[in-house]
Amino acid sequence: MSRNLNLTINGKLYEFTVGSRLGQIPENETLVDTLRDRIGLTGTKRSCEQGACGCCTVIIDGKAVASCLTLTVECEGKIITTIEGLADPVTGKLDPIQEAFNKHNAFQCGFCTPGIIMSTKALLDANPNPTEEEIKEALSGNYCRCISHYQVLEAVKSIIG
Amino acid sequence: MKKFEHLNAKSFSEAGKAIRSYRNAKPSAGGTDLIGTLRAGILEKNPDAIINLKTIPDSAYIRDKGDAVAIGALTTLDDIDRSELIRKDAKAVGEAARSVASTLIRNAATIGGNICQGVRCWYYRYPDEIGGRLTCLRKGGDMCYAIQGRNQFHSACGGMKSGLHRCTAECPASTDISAYMQEIRNGNWDAAARIIMQANPIPSLTSRVCPHNCQKACNQNEYGESVSIHSVERALGDYIMKNSDRFYVAPEQETGKKVAIIGGGPSGLAAAFNLRKVGHSVTVYEKMPEAGGVLMYGIPEYRLPKHYVRSLVKAIEGMGVEFKLETEVGKDIELEAIKAENDALLLNTGAWKQPILGLEGEELTVFGLNFLVEVKAFMNRQIDKNVLVVGGGNVAMDVALTALRLGAHNVTLACLEQRHEMPAIPEEINRAEEEGLVMYNGWGLGKVVTDDSGKVIGLDSKRCTSVFDVKGRFNPVYDEEDRRFFPAESIILATGQKVDLDFLGDQFKDKIASARGLIEVDETKATREPGVYAGGDLASGPALAIEAVRDGVIAASSISRELGVKIERRHKGPRFFKPDIEEIENRFARTEEDTPVAERTLEREDTTTLSMVEAEKEARRCMSCGCYAVNASDLSPVLVALDAKIRTTDRMIEAETFFSELDASDVLKVGELVTEIYVPKMKDYRTGYMKLRWRETIDFAVTSLAYAIKEEDGVIKDARLVAGGVAPIPLRLYEVESFLDGKVMTHELAEEAAALAVATYGHPLKESGYKLQTMKSQLVKALAG
Repeated sequence: MSRNLNLTINGKLYEFTVGSRLGQIPENETLVDTLRDRIGLTGTKRSCEQGACGCCTVIIDGKAVASCLTLTVECEGKIITTIEGLADPVTGKLDPIQEAFNKHNAFQCGFCTPGIIMSTKALLDANPNPTEEEIKEALSGNYCRCISHYQVLEAVKSIIG
Repeated sequence: MKKFEHLNAKSFSEAGKAIRSYRNAKPSAGGTDLIGTLRAGILEKNPDAIINLKTIPDSAYIRDKGDAVAIGALTTLDDIDRSELIRKDAKAVGEAARSVASTLIRNAATIGGNICQGVRCWYYRYPDEIGGRLTCLRKGGDMCYAIQGRNQFHSACGGMKSGLHRCTAECPASTDISAYMQEIRNGNWDAAARIIMQANPIPSLTSRVCPHNCQKACNQNEYGESVSIHSVERALGDYIMKNSDRFYVAPEQETGKKVAIIGGGPSGLAAAFNLRKVGHSVTVYEKMPEAGGVLMYGIPEYRLPKHYVRSLVKAIEGMGVEFKLETEVGKDIELEAIKAENDALLLNTGAWKQPILGLEGEELTVFGLNFLVEVKAFMNRQIDKNVLVVGGGNVAMDVALTALRLGAHNVTLACLEQRHEMPAIPEEINRAEEEGLVMYNGWGLGKVVTDDSGKVIGLDSKRCTSVFDVKGRFNPVYDEEDRRFFPAESIILATGQKVDLDFLGDQFKDKIASARGLIEVDETKATREPGVYAGGDLASGPALAIEAVRDGVIAASSISRELGVKIERRHKGPRFFKPDIEEIENRFARTEEDTPVAERTLEREDTTTLSMVEAEKEARRCMSCGCYAVNASDLSPVLVALDAKIRTTDRMIEAETFFSELDASDVLKVGELVTEIYVPKMKDYRTGYMKLRWRETIDFAVTSLAYAIKEEDGVIKDARLVAGGVAPIPLRLYEVESFLDGKVMTHELAEEAAALAVATYGHPLKESGYKLQTMKSQLVKALAG
């Protein structure tokens, strides 16, 4: 019998089995692929694929991690949140972080933004009042080629106290 | 990413068992290194299974153990960074953990994974998907691309040996070539001598006759001419003979055991040296008037002057080895009698017999080896005007050149092999051609053609279309229709030699002979008869002198072990390779000088040995192939500085030992897993970790420094300094530590200590010299604050 694999993503339970048949999750699949190609959550971006750029950041059990370096089979029983999970599922109202990013134009092309927002979310969940240094450290693994960092810092600072 | 099986381990012992049950399973902790490696396909052998360690209960923790802090192997670097206990009692560990990559990575990466991570060299990490992976030395390949490539992030303190070198692997005796090259270029000729003599006690002879396949494997071939290894070996061999009293030394103690060696050829001499060295009593029985075997009788004077053989035999005699010359075993003395008198026996009588080829008119030909043995007799006789030599090996070349120099009018050579397939040394082929040899490749023996009076007038031959089969075995194919007539009054066959086992006597022969008509030996060179060993051509069939030497060395070790004395290889060469960065880019080799064609004779050696100065220069062309990547783990220097211990599923390992090899897998057994890091609190010490990197995040250390310094009233009581990013392993600066001991810390002292570190350890590659400056600055800052 195939091994079960239960993933809780944005509050929803997804039941899979591990294997290489149609519909199963193979052992060598990474979380970013499962999210984008299998579940259709394309807000999580695939980019450097070595954990250097942060575009694929998701929150697993409260910690921001690179989903490109995470094997999906190792996520059994984990609570996973992606960018799609931030807005209120009923009203569709955006998360305050997303609102702040909008307000401060904290992006240009926007490709890295979901990752930056997820890192911010993990930071603020654990530490609602971070110092500027702490913000910088928490976002140090998220790269932006359009140089949105300054607006990002403003956006994040605008919602902490 | 290629397919693999996956298992969530429930305990370390289950994980270890699982790893051992697969061919190539990999444990995965945080996975931040492993997954990237797999995705880029940089490893040639893809793992067949990933064993997830994160599911092991109670494997992530930070605990106060009184005088130490214990950290579970699966603890994330982020948890270490945030731990109050670490901040208080193992500050440097926290600093190192926090310096790793970025928060995203630290949230997943573990301390166990960090200290076992792979190397970060860009050649090693070159992804398969963009143009093919580079199989460097570190991955079991042949060469380090960084030595002569881009190396600004590589070692600034030398490289380290990674696996068996190509040249060493190619040498039948496994001579540690790069080790003695380094000693020679540093002028340490005695040390070089001791290294080479462990593998080959007769380098003055082998260097002159060996086809030096090592040079074909030399990585300098990628750029230009190979290092002229044989030239350096020859200079070293001659140095050894000039100082033979230092290198062929009688043992200080006798073991009281007796070994007889039948045959004084290269394997007999090598064995005699090694056996006598450790104190056994050794007697060599030699049929001929002088010892040396084929080196004495089968190789012409101009290639190997006999005085070299004589002085070597004399040196070995000087160690107390007894030579019984002109004593033919089986005729003058029975083997049984020798066996009864000795504790062990080594047979190495070589391959001297003419094989019967079944050629029509074969009795009218001359046997090549006999021609060489009896060349002195030939000297006084007019040699036939047109000589045909048949064969493509070194004996054929020796015969052809000797015939030419004896004054033969016309020397022609025919052999089965195409030129590139000929087993002869290329230099010897060139030399023979220079002197007028005409060579015909791809011709096999038909029959000897005679005139009506029965006098030889030539050889009828047939086209050989291929010599080796698809598996590379000797299996010639002929075109019987395509024939050629080679006119000659004298035909010399140098198409191989056979082993003669008659000296053993029928009964004994049956006991130890193989189906191929050789003596059957196992890998220790033991025959089927207890106490009797065999080596050289007698056991292998006709082969190279250096192969015979190897057999002799192996047989001596086996015999001595049986007699209760282990022969150890104690001379290992330097820990760090320090190549000459300028000279490795010299594309031209220095070789022996050749005598001009017109001046060559039969009596004088054709070439002259390199001077020691020239040999030292040539040794500088050796790239010291090894791994020059630096250890990427930020935790590693800290754990060494803090005298930490690594607990594995099997044992406790000192951090310094754990990080003494290039890779964790060189220290850990398959399936042995790191379970805990045990860090002493180092009370009264000032500790820290400094890391220089280009960007504030993600990057690995350019250079780093971990320190633990204990001062009392300004006087340094103990300093532990470990540099990262400058060497293939975390580099403990012992010299600097002892320099500082007991001194009063001042800025000047710190400057002096830093300069000493650079002078003692620094050996940058072309682009990595700046690292010594940053190491220096870090040292000054750490010491003087």
